[in-house]
Amino acid sequence: MAEKIRIDVLTLDSVQCAACGYMMESIAALPDEVQEMIEYSEWSIKTKEGVGKFMELKGKVLPSICIEGDLVFESIIPQYEELIDAMKKRAPASLVESLALLRDRGFDFDRLQENLEKAGSGLKTKIG
Amino acid sequence: MAKQKLIDAVRGKRTEGVPWVPYAGVHCAFLINEPADKYLQDPKILAKGLVETAKRYKADGIPLVFDLSVEAHSLGCELKWWPDNVPSVTTHPCSGKTPEEAGLSLPTKDMGRWPLLFEAARIAKPQLDELDCALIGGICGPLTLASHLAGVRIFTDVYRNRDFAHEVVDFAGRVGAVAAGFYVEMGCEIVAIIDPVSSQIKPETFREYVSPYVKDAIKVINDAGCTSDFFVCGNATKVMEDVCALDTHGFAIDEQMNMNFIRDLAMKHGKGFGGNLKLTLALSLGLLSPREDAIVSLAAGGNIGFTFAPG
Repeated sequence: MAEKIRIDVLTLDSVQCAACGYMMESIAALPDEVQEMIEYSEWSIKTKEGVGKFMELKGKVLPSICIEGDLVFESIIPQYEELIDAMKKRAPASLVESLALLRDRGFDFDRLQENLEKAGSGLKTKIG
Repeated sequence: MAKQKLIDAVRGKRTEGVPWVPYAGVHCAFLINEPADKYLQDPKILAKGLVETAKRYKADGIPLVFDLSVEAHSLGCELKWWPDNVPSVTTHPCSGKTPEEAGLSLPTKDMGRWPLLFEAARIAKPQLDELDCALIGGICGPLTLASHLAGVRIFTDVYRNRDFAHEVVDFAGRVGAVAAGFYVEMGCEIVAIIDPVSSQIKPETFREYVSPYVKDAIKVINDAGCTSDFFVCGNATKVMEDVCALDTHGFAIDEQMNMNFIRDLAMKHGKGFGGNLKLTLALSLGLLSPREDAIVSLAAGGNIGFTFAPG
């Protein structure tokens, strides 16, 4: 299996909280070529699993984007280029060059809903 | 219940006791055993849930709805409805076009869910008046509405495509002013500008893209003799001085902010401030005792300009 960059988005709830929603969207709206290099999930603090992930990643604020275990964007919705640069810094060597070539591509909204659903956005936000 | 006490607090005045506002939102639907999507699309059910919730929680004020998709929906954004949550915006008409190119125009009272909200307010208002409970309107702030219209690209455009970003946020601000007028007309005593994503940007971005574009809405509210408020979410520490510089009477923050810091800032600027019962850690998860959390908030908030509310 090809190497992937792990991204965890710590949220209150991406449906209820607009800031959390756009943090999730910043990942889900990455272009297809980037989507193939990453795997990502939403972790809502409203679930036990979300609280566990928040503790594991040493989260401090919501929402936050964590790339390969590093808290990178805390209460700041990233620009496209900032996201690519942050991923490039933490990517396996095999992906670095391809990411660099995609730095000027920009967000792509064509598969937004599909990508959000794949990441379980809004689906794992129930108390319990 | 004490409507005037709440208004005084939001205006930064000393109050006898602390007013209390539950931002109940779709929790009102849960309390009357209705799904959120049905609740938000039926004025009778909405009014019923609102009044029941105000009674149950002995509220001094209650928001008509806490749903930031209303303006976007009336402009043609598509929504995904949820049975236990507010709807989420799923399409962004300005993701590749300016509002003008996308053919967007300012909303009128017959667009989207505005007729439904007017009707719900018409039913609920006299009952809330009888309870001495203020009706609170909540408009979607300019940056959050710009995000709904353009999608997450707006956070890149504010640096890379400034003309485009200004065009979208300016339009969103004008929509907000129209929405504020609607809530004033519905009889809301307090109208809040709710801009959760404005905490997720740098202070200079707030000053360039939020401060100028909330002015019209604030003017509409203040000129009507109503009380204006600004709600910001998340860790808003970096933009709080700029929030205080707005012409609203007060502001409200969420559980991630330190209440002592917020109280001192509000006192310095002569503003009312609201918060910050821990919605997640105490009320939802019970990791903290809600009772003890409430005592901590009340002790920190004091009785000058403070409204106790979930954060």
